[in-house]
Amino acid sequence: MSFLRSLARRLFAVLSSIGLACVLIILLGILTWLGTLEQVDYGLYEVQKKYFESFFLVHDAGGVPIPLPGANLVLCVLAVNLILGGMVRLRKSWSKAGILVTHLGIAMILLSGFVKMYFSEDGHVTLYENERADWFQSYFRWEIAIREEAAGGVVREYVVPQEDFLDARGERVVRLANDELPFELEVQHVLQNCWPSPKGPMFDVDMPVVDGVYLERRPMAAEAEQNVAGLYVASVDAESGARTPGILWGLESAPWTVEAGGGRWAVTLRKERYPMPFTLVLDEFTKEDHPRMNMPKSFSSDVTVEEDGSSRPVEISMNEPLRDRGLVLYQASWGPSTAGPGDPLFSTFSVVRNPADQMPLWGCVVTAIGLLLHFLRKLARHVRAEGRTA
Amino acid sequence: MSSSILRALVALALATGLTAPASAADPDRTEPWPEDVLALAESLPVQDGGRVKPLSTYAAFTLLRLNGKRSLETPSGERLGPTEWLLDVLFFPRDASAYECFLVQNDEVVEALGIEHDGKDRRDRYTFDALRPGIDRMFELANEYSRVEASRRSPMQQQTIDLATNIQSFMHLAGHLDHARARLIVGEGPALEELFGGREEVGFHDVVETASALAQLYRELGADPATAESDERREVAGLFRSAASLASSGDALALFPPTTPREEDEEWLTPEDVLAGSLDSGGVPPEHTRILAAFERMVEHQGDDPAAFRDALADAHAAAVGLAEPRGEYDKIELEVTYYKAKLLTWSLALFVLAFLSAAFLWLKPRSRLLYGLSNAAALGGALAVSAAIVMRCIIRGRPPVSTLYETVLFVTATGTLVALAIELIGRRRIAVSAAAILGVVGVFIANGYEVLDKQDTMPSLVAVLDTNFWLATHVTTITIGYSAGMLAALLASIYLLTKALGLKRGDREFFRSLGKMVYGVVCFALIFSLVGTILGGIWANDSWGRFWGWDPKENGALLICLSQIAILHGRMGGYLREHGVCMAAAFGGTVVAFSWWGVNLLGVGLHSYGFTSGIHSALWTYYGLQWGVVGLGALAAWRERSLAREPARAEAGGRDIERTSGATS
Repeated sequence: MSFLRSLARRLFAVLSSIGLACVLIILLGILTWLGTLEQVDYGLYEVQKKYFESFFLVHDAGGVPIPLPGANLVLCVLAVNLILGGMVRLRKSWSKAGILVTHLGIAMILLSGFVKMYFSEDGHVTLYENERADWFQSYFRWEIAIREEAAGGVVREYVVPQEDFLDARGERVVRLANDELPFELEVQHVLQNCWPSPKGPMFDVDMPVVDGVYLERRPMAAEAEQNVAGLYVASVDAESGARTPGILWGLESAPWTVEAGGGRWAVTLRKERYPMPFTLVLDEFTKEDHPRMNMPKSFSSDVTVEEDGSSRPVEISMNEPLRDRGLVLYQASWGPSTAGPGDPLFSTFSVVRNPADQMPLWGCVVTAIGLLLHFLRKLARHVRAEGRTA
Repeated sequence: MSSSILRALVALALATGLTAPASAADPDRTEPWPEDVLALAESLPVQDGGRVKPLSTYAAFTLLRLNGKRSLETPSGERLGPTEWLLDVLFFPRDASAYECFLVQNDEVVEALGIEHDGKDRRDRYTFDALRPGIDRMFELANEYSRVEASRRSPMQQQTIDLATNIQSFMHLAGHLDHARARLIVGEGPALEELFGGREEVGFHDVVETASALAQLYRELGADPATAESDERREVAGLFRSAASLASSGDALALFPPTTPREEDEEWLTPEDVLAGSLDSGGVPPEHTRILAAFERMVEHQGDDPAAFRDALADAHAAAVGLAEPRGEYDKIELEVTYYKAKLLTWSLALFVLAFLSAAFLWLKPRSRLLYGLSNAAALGGALAVSAAIVMRCIIRGRPPVSTLYETVLFVTATGTLVALAIELIGRRRIAVSAAAILGVVGVFIANGYEVLDKQDTMPSLVAVLDTNFWLATHVTTITIGYSAGMLAALLASIYLLTKALGLKRGDREFFRSLGKMVYGVVCFALIFSLVGTILGGIWANDSWGRFWGWDPKENGALLICLSQIAILHGRMGGYLREHGVCMAAAFGGTVVAFSWWGVNLLGVGLHSYGFTSGIHSALWTYYGLQWGVVGLGALAAWRERSLAREPARAEAGGRDIERTSGATS
């Protein structure tokens, strides 16, 4: 028992030590520096996953592999160290009040980061004028949607998240089945970035060919949202066992259809969608350039938010997002970039559901108060001491 | 083609040569530009780069782009400022074609154009006349090179594109007043004669003034089968074609303010727009024809009647100001002219140099009250001059102090020197004033260097995301103070390390103790602003892009500054860093600040694309090298200090042994 107590004491001493804080701060600095430089070659998304959202990584230093802890791990331990060393263990006195408050503010910011990472959803919604949407879609994540097409419109929709089929790399088959569906899907050869191409007689390909078309593998794009996923799919009729192969591709304009059990089903690979608690209608998009220049001075969208049978007009512009029912909508971009004068334009809104949306602001206020408290006290003491010396 | 149209075109070609700047018909300027003419020209408002600015500002940055500096010497030895040069290009293009105002960084560029460059340096200036034979080839090559991605272009390719762009700017300016130079032949049709009161030839402004009546006449003649194919109808069409041709070469300067309120129409007009507008709306505002007519009078009297020239310029100025003022677009023009004329940065540089010299002598004669007072006063004067420049820029732009990379340099210089002087005021150790002087000299030098390198208006229009005075005033200002304090801490730490490494102030423990305290204090000050500024940046990003933190290079740079300063303070608190260690870390921290401030912009990735710049690689790496060298010297000094400290102890210990031994034998 005393051994355990001693071990716990030692562990507490290590986890709350200022030495550990120094090591973690330097490690975070190194990771930040490496992650910044690598963005030139690999883009933000890949670097973010490798350096900042990971627990461990291997950095390639000119061919020499260097194992490093990921920023996620470093920040987790730093949070523990901050709470134990910078708040629990810290001597509670007026002289340390500023440090305590500063650490509290930093803890709030770290907490908001963890909440954002694990509990938020983000994506975008793109609308032309007079279009409406009550959902937004992810920038990166994919899903397979299976819809029953009936005479009166859509009846049922089944959605398969990417975790359920992303493992179907190469020849490996993943089966997707549901008791309510009269068929199951077999997924193979999932590619994260690809393009459907016709298979000509003069060359061979290492992928299956369906109706003369195969998925051509493309290198991962530096801007991850530009990757277009694709996969090979086959429907297997639950009754007859008949197998129909097909291809799903992220930018396909028409769905792949399956006929089974007397019904007709539309199957698509699309970006993951999330419902919004209201319907958004784009009334007008305005883009203003600086006079006699092509540089945008401002762009804004007049939208109508329809919820609970009522509607209200809202303007969303740069630096002025719409906050409503836990969602925040930002004016992100517009297009098409090739539009000429008078052509219809679309407006793209970033949509974020982040329970910790405003917590960094409060963390900033608390941190600033703490730093001012601590350093102003020190400055006053220094000035008094200098005055005595003089 | 009727004889009158032919005559009109011949008259045009003779009078102007259209876009060719040098023509046999141009007179030469024989006298310097009078002061009153220059004063009027300087404050003539023009819309350029998305804002209305004085013609002098436009001229200064155009000349800087072409010439690499804001002045030039004519073949006759006359030194011209930017406005004088621009007036020459506009009114005496043949003279201006012989000015060496095209800076070519590498003579390989002109060699590729087949242009003779014997007797020229590798980097030298050329006249338009000298480059003229290679212009076609230059545009061909520039067109070809512009298809290469900017980051993959060779220096020569980029320089060819730059030279072609500069030549094009020059040609546009030289041809800008073609509309004022040419006389248009009216023709012999009775209706035309009646319309123009029997005059045989008219000015461009006459055609603009009667454009709707001419258009009506053209339609009427066309409606009647008897006159539809008549010479008179062709003459009307010829007048329009000639006027349009003249107007199309006048697209360089938007000197015509709209007559509508600013909210309705922000775009100022060129002569081409004025002509098009006169047809669209069925009439041209009298102020616009007044300006056009005034330019025609200026051209008429250039070189032979200075008073008439000045009166015509005053007339154009009054008409333009009369339209710009109610739109709220003239109220800052005079102030901007004053800002550039005052040369506050030149004065501040002179004062900082004086402060530096007196501080240097102060190190030799530390008790000199005169030198101490002089160094403080000069440094304060320099800091106040930079601050005054910042305040004037804020008023002119209607923006907080920092919204461009150039302004970060000014702000860092002002705040850094003022903080250093405040430290001097508190401690009076004669150290911080030296740091203020060094920071001031380097800061103003960098500001001037950056301006010359970038060659763009330092008060540009801002991209949409930056159009927020709240965040510019809070986040940007705060983080820039953080940069400033970080650099000051690095500078003070470098003084500490170099003084030790060079063996100066040996034995003056109090000197090093005070300096160490200063470094620590400035690091604390820097941390407050860096940390709060970084978090405020995250909050701004949350409002603009929908995320607090995105690991974008600029954000990471700011985080690195915070982490380096937090590491210093925790290392000190934990006893891992003492006075010397804190100074080594703070000196290294200067490179972290430089990486965040300038280095990440060179990576060319990320959302903060409005802060990108190029051409500062070598300067940045020089700074890194110097700062790391100082840290290395600091490490050597620490090692030497430790060795020296060990030797007396060893000697003392050895001595005791001998004593003990001798004691035992005795």
